Amino acid sequence: MKTYLVLPLFALLAMPVSASKMGMPTDAPKSYEAECASCHLAYPPGLLGQKNWQNIMSGLNKHFGTDASIDTKTETEITQWLLKYAANRQKYSAFAPENRITKTPWFIRKHDEVRADVWTRVGIKSPANCSACHADAAKGDFEEDNIRIPIK
Amino acid sequence: MIKKVPLFLAVFSFTGLALCATPPELLKGYEAQSSKAFTTRGEQFFNAKHGKECSCASCHENPPNHETKHIVTGKVIKPLSPNNNPERFTDQAKVEKWFKRNCNDVLARECTAQEKADILSWLMTVK
Repeated sequence: MKTYLVLPLFALLAMPVSASKMGMPTDAPKSYEAECASCHLAYPPGLLGQKNWQNIMSGLNKHFGTDASIDTKTETEITQWLLKYAANRQKYSAFAPENRITKTPWFIRKHDEVRADVWTRVGIKSPANCSACHADAAKGDFEEDNIRIPIK
Repeated sequence: MIKKVPLFLAVFSFTGLALCATPPELLKGYEAQSSKAFTTRGEQFFNAKHGKECSCASCHENPPNHETKHIVTGKVIKPLSPNNNPERFTDQAKVEKWFKRNCNDVLARECTAQEKADILSWLMTVK
């Protein structure tokens, strides 16, 4: 009887943490909020692998069409933190083309039912605007039942 | 001791300026590096395109006295005018950082001290 109860429990514990529940590490440096989240969502570091984060942090003066340069000390601080929590499971750490989260195979597959015209709605603007639909994206919560797609 | 006091004051006032400045102090600094600011020139500069797709007003809107949204990311931008947002233009390092970033985006180069003086002098009149 006991084994019936214990075995499923072990199975649960052994389950890998899915991307939808990756969470936001609680030790983010203040500079991450100040420097990165002043323009966009403070993306949880687990959304990209180490190589992508390194590329992004070493090219901030040309950051997706904008100059997002910061001083060297802050750059090092943020980079170290991002690398510490970067995706490490193969599925999520696969190299993202152009260093874009939205170009990773898992992102594309997860959003394949979203029509092209939905992305451009005023309330969404861009696939990079996670929190438009995932209300708790900043906390690293991308759970299916926590999604609300703006109708406009 | 007497000699040390002015030195101490000089160092103190310098760091004080860097960490917590006021908009008029920053304006004075930019004017000292160029010449007198013109508010109308600042307003024109703010609204004009400078060879690229965006102007300052694309994201900050005109007048920049209210919360706006970043034209690409949709992230909320607090009012730029110091009269509507007392935190603006009170930290020299932060001001320089954003001038560098945003001027590169709008003009593909950094802004001159004269341009910064003009813009700031105009922003100080926006209510």
